Amino acid sequence: MQKKVLTEQSLYYGDVDMPKDWDIDRDKLSGDILQSVIQNKDFPFSRTWDMLNTYMRDHVGLEYGVNLINKETWGNIYKPSETTIPLLNIDPVDLRNSPDFTMLYGVKVKDCFVRIHYEDNRRKGRSWDIELKNNMFIMFPSTNMYYLTNNQKDSLNFVQTITYEYI
Amino acid sequence: MAHFAKLGANSKVIQVLTLNNGDMLNADGVEDETVGQQYLETHNNWPAQMWIQTSYNTSGGTHNNGGTALRGNYAGIGYTWDEDDQIFWPKKPYASWVKHNASASWKSPIGDAPALTAEQESQNTADTHRWGYVWNEANTTWDLTDSKA
Repeated sequence: MQKKVLTEQSLYYGDVDMPKDWDIDRDKLSGDILQSVIQNKDFPFSRTWDMLNTYMRDHVGLEYGVNLINKETWGNIYKPSETTIPLLNIDPVDLRNSPDFTMLYGVKVKDCFVRIHYEDNRRKGRSWDIELKNNMFIMFPSTNMYYLTNNQKDSLNFVQTITYEYI
Repeated sequence: MAHFAKLGANSKVIQVLTLNNGDMLNADGVEDETVGQQYLETHNNWPAQMWIQTSYNTSGGTHNNGGTALRGNYAGIGYTWDEDDQIFWPKKPYASWVKHNASASWKSPIGDAPALTAEQESQNTADTHRWGYVWNEANTTWDLTDSKA
């Protein structure tokens, strides 16, 4: 008896484990998110963002042999007790130019939960919940719909998103 | 062209980059690894001490062109940097294998595979058989196999 896996959905998550004294400057990222959201501008390139992005690309490549290419990046601010609408980062009528993976990074978050929807053959409408913590990333296929919940009433949640294509 | 390995957690090589020789010259115009490390820290956002120079022409503890070997092996992604022995180690092939510093390689606990007999060699040459030794991790032995059988 043999088995052949035709497709699988891989989710990667964990802390961004930078070298000592080289932590991601999350104050800088949250400031850039705030600026880009208020001014309705593209998220600015910065040394800090590059460190995060390079970490992701290097480590996913090292651990899992997946070579990532950047597509887009943006930051979001979620209000207290806010639950987003279901989010999907692919364009169903333009899959050629859609990303393969969506990566969420906890810039400044508290009680922030991500629910990722998936299908398991005929078992439709399944979901997987995970808490997004500070300095933690979650990366999953962009074909999966997801939403975020800010599950507290005190503070804003800042989340950085980077989408990738793989080769 | 110089090559530098970027180290991650547990001294694992996560990237290998090339650097122009001119970017690692010190004040005296001599190539200096620390200058290269500093250049890479500035331009690649990764601490200087976690960039280690590696030699493209070094493998198995020797330099391919007869020069001076540098740090055992040319680093590759997934290799491990051994600071004590100053060697880049490839992934351990079997759990029982041990480091052999002189050849910067992993060796079986019972040494290299035995040599093939003259008869086996001639059969390989005639392409009637394909004799070779394969490591048997369960029994920690070299097993003679004929891959053509």
